[in-house]
Amino acid sequence: MYNSRTLIRRERYIKSFAVFALLCFFAWTIFAVENMMASVVLALVITYLLNPFVNKLERKGTRRTTSILLLFVVASLALSLLASLFYPILSTQIGDLQAELPKYQIGIVKLISNLEKKAQEIMGGYYSFDIIKGINTLIAESAGALFSNIPDFASKFLTVFILAPFFAFFMLRDGRGVVRQFLRMMPNNLFELALNLNYQINEQMGDFIRARLLEAGIVGLVIWIGLAIIGFPYASILAIFAALTNLIPYVGPFIGAVPAIAIALINKDPSIIVFLVCMTYAIAQIIDIVFIIPMVVAKIVNLHPVFVVVVIIIGSQLMGILGMIISIPVASALKLTFTAVYDHLINFRS
Amino acid sequence: MADYLWDNIFRKDAKEKELITRLKENFLFELLSNKELSFIEQIVHVRTYRANEVIFRQGEAGVGMYIIKKGNVDIYSAENIPGQENQNETKVTSLSEGDFFGEISLVEAGSRRTATAATSTETELIGFFRPDLIELLERNPNIGAKVVFRLAEVLGRRLAETTDKISLIKQELLRISEKKRRKKDVQQSNSDS
Repeated sequence: MYNSRTLIRRERYIKSFAVFALLCFFAWTIFAVENMMASVVLALVITYLLNPFVNKLERKGTRRTTSILLLFVVASLALSLLASLFYPILSTQIGDLQAELPKYQIGIVKLISNLEKKAQEIMGGYYSFDIIKGINTLIAESAGALFSNIPDFASKFLTVFILAPFFAFFMLRDGRGVVRQFLRMMPNNLFELALNLNYQINEQMGDFIRARLLEAGIVGLVIWIGLAIIGFPYASILAIFAALTNLIPYVGPFIGAVPAIAIALINKDPSIIVFLVCMTYAIAQIIDIVFIIPMVVAKIVNLHPVFVVVVIIIGSQLMGILGMIISIPVASALKLTFTAVYDHLINFRS
Repeated sequence: MADYLWDNIFRKDAKEKELITRLKENFLFELLSNKELSFIEQIVHVRTYRANEVIFRQGEAGVGMYIIKKGNVDIYSAENIPGQENQNETKVTSLSEGDFFGEISLVEAGSRRTATAATSTETELIGFFRPDLIELLERNPNIGAKVVFRLAEVLGRRLAETTDKISLIKQELLRISEKKRRKKDVQQSNSDS
């Protein structure tokens, strides 16, 4: 009996260590290998988006591999069609923006210097500001980097766009098998916990990613329609930017609105246009807060707002914009794991 | 080298056949065809346990059922007395190859194990869990419906058995209380006289 218990305990330790080592290796690969993080995140997004459709086709009797290939073909065709429709508009707007960028740089500097002067007037010399010097350097550096970094960005973009669908294909086809192999390595006492945890995280992540993308899409569409009706320049670029920043909770919508309001102020548009631009962003956010969040997002991730903001700051410090976007799903997965492990270790025992 | 490779392939085939045979013998899966069983085979989990290893403990959250592929499992139950540290576990039953246990956790979300299960010899178990059942229903509802129907039958039988036992206990209680009442009446009449 003693030998058997010792053997069981030793086996559990070895298996736990092997699982931990494997997880660490995966984490290291994702963080250390160039473009791996972005590729894996995008592959997961594609996987979670396509999985319900693959299951649907499989239910109708189509083989899983055929279903995945079929959906990849349909998605590629749809994306090509969208690209051919929007490419002329987007390329014109990007060209215009590139041509007018120096004007906006000067405009931003002027806006900030005016704000600085007004702030110093209000403070009455008690506190002196000199942010304009720093802003000038920052704008000059980032504007230079914006175009000089294009080749580097394009190569990264291309690598990610080749790797992500490749990974997504295998995640959809063999993902369950790989997870089963991984679960096989788990020690017996942790097996049910790991299986259930994997299921719950998978469900939550799937729902969360689908809901956030739907939310971003609707917000982007509302802003695009609003700006197009006003006849505001760069409507498409601004709508895409707002949709992307909307993926960042709480602070994202404000970041998304800044460029449009700055452009309106720099162009010295009439007050009514500035008001209408602000209204467009406000209406998009009202639709988001009143209809989309309660219906699709809120029930999925239940995190305290302060916790969310702290997590976003940590994400931005570690990985920039990508970190801000993925910080919430990662934090939710960690919260779920912690709760499940805590429940298993503390509450499960009667 | 070639012999070694062939040997391995045959052994794997034999293992797969063994698993399908074991699944086919189980009440939940006995109506399924071989093709359908191959699908189930990809979903279930085979776990190996040493002798005297605990599979799950009473009070733990459970997510599914186990079918005994090889070996023996003992089921223990402890009276839950609050505040008592060492609670005596009584052996309720012994299960052997082909038997299954823990099926209530398969349908009841957030359920807790009502007994402790431990192996008495080296044992191989086939685990079938809630996430697996949900995956089955999502990917192949035809097979899923057959399994759920059989599962409902198992739970129905368990319910009928429990109802019978409760009826018996109730009758026994009535009989005892009647006996006590009569004894009391006799004592009363004796004391009156």
